[in-house]
Amino acid sequence: MDKSILVLDKGTRCTAWNYSGERLVAGLIDGSFAIYDSTDPASSNLTCTHRFKAHNCSIVKVVWAPPEYGDAVACITEDGNLSLWEEVVDDTEGPHWKMCKCFDRNTSQVLDVQFGYGQTCLKLVAAYSDGQVKIHELLDTLELEKWQLQAEFQNVIDLVSKFGNVSCLSASISWNPERIEVRQSSFVLGFNSNTPSLNSAKVWEFDLDHQRWLPVAELSLPEDKDDQVSSVAWAPNIGRPYELIAVATQKGISIWQLGSNPDHDGRLSVHRVALLSAHDNEVWEMEWDMSGMTLATTGSDGVVRLWQSNLNGAWHEQAVLAPPS
Amino acid sequence: MEHNPPQVHKFPQDSYVDALRWLPQLSTFSRHVLLASYDSETSTPSLQTLTFSPSETAPSLTPQASAPAPSRITSLKISPSPLSPSRALIASATFSGSLLFLSADLINGSLDLEFSLPELGFHSGPVSAIDLNDSGSECVSVGEDGCVNLVSLSVSKGFRRVYDSKGLVSYSSVKWASPVEFVTGAFGFGLHWWDQRKPGGPVALFKDDWTKGSASGIVHSIDIHSSRKHTCVAGGSSGVVFAWDIRRPKQPVMLSGVGIGNAPAYSAVESDIWEVHYDNYTHSSKMSSSSSSTILPAMICSEDGILAVIEQGEEPTELLAEPCAINNFDIDRENPSDVICSLEWESLAILTRRRA
Amino acid sequence: MPGVTSDSGEFNSLSIVPHSLETQTPRVYPLRTRRAAPPFGRVSISWARGNTLRVSLLQPEGADSDGEVVEVNLTNAEGGEIPEAQRRRIAYGSVTPFALLQSRKNPMDELQYDKTWWVHVMEYSNEIKSLLGASKSYITPTIEDPKALLKDVEEPTSLKAAWELMELFYADKQSQTWIPERLLDWLADFDCLLSATQPTFHARLVSFQKALVTIQEVENYPEYWEVMSSALAVGWLDIVVKMLRLHGSYQLDQLGTREIESGLVEAVALLISQMPRLRPHISDEKLGECYSTKPEFMKAWEKWRTQITKLDCHPYWLQCDHKQTRVGLKNMIQIMLGNANVLSNATYHWIELYISHLLYIRPFTVGLESMYTLAQKCMHLKPITNQHKLMGLLIGILEENTEVVLAECSRSFGPWMITHAVELLTAGSAQAEMLLHEEQSKIGGICIEELHRLIYAQILSSHALTWNIAPIYLTSCMKQGLGLLENLLYKQPVQHHQVLLKSIEICRLNGIDYVSRHMMKIAGVHYWKHGKKGSAVFWLQQAQDEVRLNRIAKHLFDFVGKSVSDESFKQWEGMIELLGTESKTAGGLEFLKRYRDFRRSLQQVQDGITTDDARKTSEALISLMKNPSTPQQFWLHLLYDSLRLLNWKDHPLLNVSQTNLLLNKLQELSLARLLPGYVDADLPPEAFKSVRRALATNLGRAILEE
Repeated sequence: MDKSILVLDKGTRCTAWNYSGERLVAGLIDGSFAIYDSTDPASSNLTCTHRFKAHNCSIVKVVWAPPEYGDAVACITEDGNLSLWEEVVDDTEGPHWKMCKCFDRNTSQVLDVQFGYGQTCLKLVAAYSDGQVKIHELLDTLELEKWQLQAEFQNVIDLVSKFGNVSCLSASISWNPERIEVRQSSFVLGFNSNTPSLNSAKVWEFDLDHQRWLPVAELSLPEDKDDQVSSVAWAPNIGRPYELIAVATQKGISIWQLGSNPDHDGRLSVHRVALLSAHDNEVWEMEWDMSGMTLATTGSDGVVRLWQSNLNGAWHEQAVLAPPS
Repeated sequence: MEHNPPQVHKFPQDSYVDALRWLPQLSTFSRHVLLASYDSETSTPSLQTLTFSPSETAPSLTPQASAPAPSRITSLKISPSPLSPSRALIASATFSGSLLFLSADLINGSLDLEFSLPELGFHSGPVSAIDLNDSGSECVSVGEDGCVNLVSLSVSKGFRRVYDSKGLVSYSSVKWASPVEFVTGAFGFGLHWWDQRKPGGPVALFKDDWTKGSASGIVHSIDIHSSRKHTCVAGGSSGVVFAWDIRRPKQPVMLSGVGIGNAPAYSAVESDIWEVHYDNYTHSSKMSSSSSSTILPAMICSEDGILAVIEQGEEPTELLAEPCAINNFDIDRENPSDVICSLEWESLAILTRRRA
Repeated sequence: MPGVTSDSGEFNSLSIVPHSLETQTPRVYPLRTRRAAPPFGRVSISWARGNTLRVSLLQPEGADSDGEVVEVNLTNAEGGEIPEAQRRRIAYGSVTPFALLQSRKNPMDELQYDKTWWVHVMEYSNEIKSLLGASKSYITPTIEDPKALLKDVEEPTSLKAAWELMELFYADKQSQTWIPERLLDWLADFDCLLSATQPTFHARLVSFQKALVTIQEVENYPEYWEVMSSALAVGWLDIVVKMLRLHGSYQLDQLGTREIESGLVEAVALLISQMPRLRPHISDEKLGECYSTKPEFMKAWEKWRTQITKLDCHPYWLQCDHKQTRVGLKNMIQIMLGNANVLSNATYHWIELYISHLLYIRPFTVGLESMYTLAQKCMHLKPITNQHKLMGLLIGILEENTEVVLAECSRSFGPWMITHAVELLTAGSAQAEMLLHEEQSKIGGICIEELHRLIYAQILSSHALTWNIAPIYLTSCMKQGLGLLENLLYKQPVQHHQVLLKSIEICRLNGIDYVSRHMMKIAGVHYWKHGKKGSAVFWLQQAQDEVRLNRIAKHLFDFVGKSVSDESFKQWEGMIELLGTESKTAGGLEFLKRYRDFRRSLQQVQDGITTDDARKTSEALISLMKNPSTPQQFWLHLLYDSLRLLNWKDHPLLNVSQTNLLLNKLQELSLARLLPGYVDADLPPEAFKSVRRALATNLGRAILEE
């Protein structure tokens, strides 16, 4: 069953649903935010409850913070700025949105940003156009104003090498959605850049003993290492003995299995279980469902595709959702 | 009476019942029910009156009139309006923070909005509970926002803020005790007694002293019996039901509850008690034996699907045990043997109790 | 058209359920929009509750139209045959039987299991069946109107038909000896479902029923005889006999002239109503003589056949003048004698032919022996381009191919069906049980039974009214149920009071406190940020989130009136009530409570009290000042308000070490005042000095006293 639930304002560039699917934030071309809320619990009637100008240039990406930190979004603008906005009520005013943080940057632009889940302190990872990855940590659980830079590195397996003159068009980050706090936090990251060794998707894990981030796996076949990555998505794991990560390059969508036990080098075993060709090989977005069984993807062909493994472990396209042409 | 189970009839609905009430009775053969329901497919909340035709074998419940609601209904109260029993006054509070007053014409089958208080400035966020006084001239409302408002229905229709806790307290329930007094229930099993003659805040506070650590909870429902205005019975989290006598504010009487301090041996339920009402039917059948110091029997409905009558020092009498939650119920004022309740799984049940 | 094929291409037949069958190219489902039209600048996706996918269609820069969000529900596979509300009712109703059956599995030992398990399964199956619709037989002749061959009853659903198929073949051990008769009954109930798209006898009967009202001298019409032959072929004996009674020779005025004819009709009718049936019982309105054992049945059958042959050769036929009657009755005799050609002509759908074969050509068939070959033969004789989904299921069953049965169940009838019907399947087939319970490494180490339960639970999660029954199914999933339950709960909009309470209850029942704490934390922060401080503190306390509570305490203390004379402190009473008697969970906020108590006793000092009470109050002061959770900004206030205690007339209330402690605190405070960022208390400028003087005096007096 399909139904249209909302007509978005003209000039909407990006949208994001909050954790419960009851709020939608839209970023507009004029630098405004529009917030849509469902009118009742369980209702799919949405109304615009806030609309305000946040920036002077177009908003290109919005991401919700985990709900245990409030109703907050991180936002990337077209000129590469990263800021945090939060809905609050204070003594003088009812619910309103305020900017709580604008992250400093040098000349490079922020390409993607994602919040980590379930850690005792909130982490935010941002990928920059110069190939840098920065991880910020929230200092105070109740105030989204105070952050500190926890780490900064490039997306390379060999930690020693440094690349200058890097120019990245896009980046994609996906945290391990595991919420149990005892587990090490980890995420996967891939670039679309002019520097081959930065591109391939790599899994980063925080090494508690040495307080540093380490690359624990590289999700590409030897012959595909230079492929530019357009999107990555880490599947929720409800009890599989391995992790599933989808990586999209111009060659298609690869589904990777990631083992859980590190070898003596601290690397995790990886195994590509499928290469799926779709969307004219230009993938925009990928998202796993709540059980990690179905992958939804969109791309430049303008349709939504749903992918699933059958009982024999073979991945295939299950359905195509096509807007009217 | 325990050996004479009530007659139960179920009426599946195609929508979720948020609240319900019996409407005043016009004749023995035609009874009316008011429902606040929510159609999940179209996301539309509405109020409707239904005609109930009792019958041993095939009772029926047919829609009579309906009115749209701006948002889902959180609380529903009725004033019998003694002067014209065929026109009942209805107060309904909404999730979006507004309050609607409707009149139901049971003879001509209409349900009309009389006036409403818009959300803006009334309550911010959901109205938790309301109560209409007996004469139908005043309605008190409380909210999660910590405001207590008094709506006058007499001449100048408007509201007056009795108290604004500035969010420091969230109220969950309210009940009139007398024309000038009411009781509110809050988080942490707190009860506040208010007297309009002494403005500025509650005149008495009750705070449980039986909970240990995290076992605290919320008062979901309060009832006060017209014959004993100093005692209120409250039901809430963890199956807790207790009576609080304003004259002995430090000595609550526990009627039910699990794993809580001096809880009685009998506990009907372990989960939330959603609604509690004094049960005149059970009371009248035992009138002779009850002294003025015992707590009157009360009926409860619960999250784990129990509809039961609890009495001080006695084992609870279960009227209904459902696999899903019983969200609300109402005892017919004129026919206290009849009880209507709404089940979580989109259906209604009407019970008729019979004397042994 | 609902329920035509297993994969109709309709949007409402879209479901995403893995199975093992060969997959064809993916189907394309059109998304209906209000305004948005391609090309799109961006298509954004997000999974909402359960299997709900939200698609944002965003226009490219400079486009004139608006973007749009479309919600797609990937849930129903059974083709929209059953309305939403009805489907929810089925979902609600199946919870209790399912849970009961699961609970019975555990304590059963192996031996008992084999013997009595199917009894429990049948009990379960009957409960489920009652949810799927009234169980009235479709064809019931009424006494009132001799011409009413069909009774109007509620249209049955394919879902119910499928359930009954599964039940009769797998779960019902008692039906194993008379499966052909069970199948006959089944077809009588559900042939109408096939009529929607395929030629069936039922459709023919319906149209004849319409015509019958106007027909006189019915025996002259060929349709009359055709319909009767068909009814006989598929074993609807009651209808045949009823129709025979419409024969003109029964008319009172005809009795004299058409004796022979009438006699023949009656003879055939009698034979038909005496037909031996290999079944233990038959409902009152149905005809035939029941035999529950095969030898008895065979004996009766031989006898019955002899009688038919005898009638067939009877010379009376020559004396029958009415040609239609003669031919028609003879044809019926051929059916009863099992003439394959006649049977084929008398039936429409292959399943009808199949039933007729089982009845008249292979009456002694017991169990599933060679039933599949016969089905293939019948399908070959009556080919159908567009197989009904029920037939797909039936073929899978006859073929004894569990994988096909599973795939047909889930593909055509949806996750509800497969999840619940698995119980029937495993009760009846050891092979199925193995297949369903074997852990599959290819799907992450779970078994197929669990997979289907997970999928069904995910579908229940898609709806705001059914999500809370998903946990029942998830708790029966040993490996991944808990993981999915956690994910389900983490997505609940817990800022809504009712949803939060419901979620907490689910956590309580499943013993997952860490999840409920997480949800209470989310709610607490939400309320805190939205100005509902009381609720925030309550939920954070319930969540035992000491970190945030301490943080909140620090924030709140800035607003608490710090002077005893400050009337605004009253408003904090409500919040303090919340904190409860146990200090552990309140974190730093606990100070508020102790501060309140101290203020109260200090108030009494102001009002004039005995030395004893004053001493108690000063003890309270010391304990407050000692406590590390007492915020620094309160120190000077506390001391200044206690000046009367420090200067107590009769004798000093504080001993030397207590006075020293307070002096140290004062010292600490004076150092802090030098630091940047220190906000000076709104006290009279001499406050610090007077406290110091009082303490010094007190110290002197205390030394003297000791």
